[in-house]
Amino acid sequence: MSNGIPLAEALARYRIDADLGSLPELTDIDTLLNTYHPDHLRDSVVKLAVGANAGDSCQRELAGLLQAEAFIDEADLAGTPVTDIDVLVIGGGGAGCAAALAAAENGARVLLATKLRLGDSNTVMAEGGIQAAIEPDDSIQRHIQDTLRGGHHAGDPALVSALAGDGPEVLHWLISQGMQFDQTPSGDLHTRRAGGMSTPRLVHCRDYTGLEMMRVLREAVIQHRSIEVWEQSPAVELLSNEVGQKCVGAVLTSLIDGQLRIVRTRSVILATGGLGRLHLNGFPTSNHLGATGDGLVLAYRIGARLCELDSFQYHPTGLLHPSHLAGKLVTEGVRAAGALLVNGLGHRFIDELQPRDVVCAAILRECREGRGVRVDEQHAGVWLDTPRLERANPGILEQQFTSLMTRTHVAGIDPRREPLLVHPTLHYQNGGAVIDVNGATTVPGLYAVGEVAGGIHGRNRLMGNALLEIISFGRRAGVAATTDRDRGPKKVTLEHVNNLRRALTLAGLPMTQRAPQVLPAYAAGGVWNR
Amino acid sequence: MTTSNATATESGQPPDVALTINGLAVNAHTGMSLVEAAWHGGVPQVTSVGCLEGVCGSCRVMLRRGKEVTVGLACQTFVEDGIEVVFMPPASAPQHHYKISDFKDGWDIHARFHKIFPEASRCRHCHGCDKACPKGITVENGVALAAAGRYREAGEAFFECVMCELCDAACPELIAPAHVGLFSRRVTAHFHLRPPNLIHRLEELRQERMETCRDEDSKK
Repeated sequence: MSNGIPLAEALARYRIDADLGSLPELTDIDTLLNTYHPDHLRDSVVKLAVGANAGDSCQRELAGLLQAEAFIDEADLAGTPVTDIDVLVIGGGGAGCAAALAAAENGARVLLATKLRLGDSNTVMAEGGIQAAIEPDDSIQRHIQDTLRGGHHAGDPALVSALAGDGPEVLHWLISQGMQFDQTPSGDLHTRRAGGMSTPRLVHCRDYTGLEMMRVLREAVIQHRSIEVWEQSPAVELLSNEVGQKCVGAVLTSLIDGQLRIVRTRSVILATGGLGRLHLNGFPTSNHLGATGDGLVLAYRIGARLCELDSFQYHPTGLLHPSHLAGKLVTEGVRAAGALLVNGLGHRFIDELQPRDVVCAAILRECREGRGVRVDEQHAGVWLDTPRLERANPGILEQQFTSLMTRTHVAGIDPRREPLLVHPTLHYQNGGAVIDVNGATTVPGLYAVGEVAGGIHGRNRLMGNALLEIISFGRRAGVAATTDRDRGPKKVTLEHVNNLRRALTLAGLPMTQRAPQVLPAYAAGGVWNR
Repeated sequence: MTTSNATATESGQPPDVALTINGLAVNAHTGMSLVEAAWHGGVPQVTSVGCLEGVCGSCRVMLRRGKEVTVGLACQTFVEDGIEVVFMPPASAPQHHYKISDFKDGWDIHARFHKIFPEASRCRHCHGCDKACPKGITVENGVALAAAGRYREAGEAFFECVMCELCDAACPELIAPAHVGLFSRRVTAHFHLRPPNLIHRLEELRQERMETCRDEDSKK
């Protein structure tokens, strides 16, 4: 992508009061999406050759990881220290903490292992809020309908009913844990309406809902006597029984000393989050550093069925500049408040409030056809015209978008004076492991909750349903995992890894790549030697 | 397009800033954050990095400029010539224990607070916590408010807290201000947040469930 208007030239040309031209008519949305949306790029999707989803479409880079060689084999397990525990939770974000707390409240001894620090997650960055049908003119049924429609009717109605039905009780539980929410003067929880909602349903704590949720859950987990927390301890493999068909534990490593540890357990709850840091199709991401899709790889290798592996949400307005914030979000609220998108020629090119996938495709079209603003040989974007918004509504950025102002201020940028350079950014994995209403995967003993699980959001997630999902399904899985009456494993093996190796060999696939990724290559300096 | 978020500033020009990170010499570009510089320079073992936008509190660093030593968050601090940077190890486990579900009602909360955080009333006003906070929170004042039993106001003072626990490390009395702040926020919600719209909907759902149970019983 070497064409486009150079940054300096575009900046010199930028005028706050310029005539932006008339908005070209959007005639053929399907062609726009099929030509420019990353999900629809022809070489972006391949068919899986082995495993529970053999024959299904899957994003190319993800397919490489799902059909990759494991890091360890039986020889590595000899002499490895063993820990026995009732429930192992892998992942220290909102879903993992909710699952650990629910399991511990039900009397289980819980080990929560997390790759980085407890609370390092995408949860902490969620700004918008959490959906729950609590307003008088709203209902659980409307929440279900909105969620299914938003997901293009690809979601599982049973899971969506469970999600929406849990909404009010989830808020009750969060408040009892000590989470604060914004209130109206009369004391009601304040609700907002966001994209895809037929009525106001988004409950929030200013623009820091995820941070407030995460710090409360983190503290609750740390304080709980029955939960042990291992930080800097990524999972590199699950363990199966003699026939490779039930999950009976996991192998963890340590980012500090590289020591492997075996954890034997009755049930494992995967809460590893998404995969933005795989930078699918070369895209920047809004995600946290640990989001490398490890849970999908581990689940697939032990035989779990996955779904919607070719559907990802790209948020239209990720920052392109300054570089340390590359891929980080400018909330949709800025466009909702009236900020326009302008290309390098100084023209509008799309109705800014079209659905996320349409706006995303339009921005990519401008960049690819040479009307973007070029930063260097590889990066181009378009303007998000914040100065014009500020001029029309003096004070709006400071009052309503404090988080954005704080972040750009650190970099010496003032969105009130200069427009922001944006480019679509990889935001959310719509699919994941197939689960039932208890978060159970198709493999006995293995649960998946949060972004790593699929089936709820169909092919497009609505704002505010992710924070609800992590608590609702986190708690469901935590309870279900403790009611498992199995006495626990006698023998732990890597039989499932051997099975996959056989399948890979039979399919003639190379076994040069190893997975899970654990850390993005650029951040792995010396930590992860493979 | 490259896959790394960290390469946007590397447009072929030679690095123009020299600094040290964890004792290693690193050459970086103006405008890079300390996290980008660590990755760019291949500094090993930098795993205390999380959100990269200043809300997760993981990337705690100690900074030395000449004789001046400060602390901060590496993703929110930019490279400077000659600065020495050390990524700090994760904070140790908290020493103050409580379980919010053990609290019966709010009437004994003041006694409980001082039992859980006995050090909070011994603040010596050294301003160490205020100086350490990367979010500019008036930590010392927040602790004083909590010690005086004004939990709502104390919690509000800590609204922007990202749990980096740098104030805990700075406190010579081991007060653990970050946890005092979170305690204040949590008890405020736990005892006082009683929203009518939510309570009404919960009651509706409870009655619906009871009706369903009755219907099922009558069928038997």
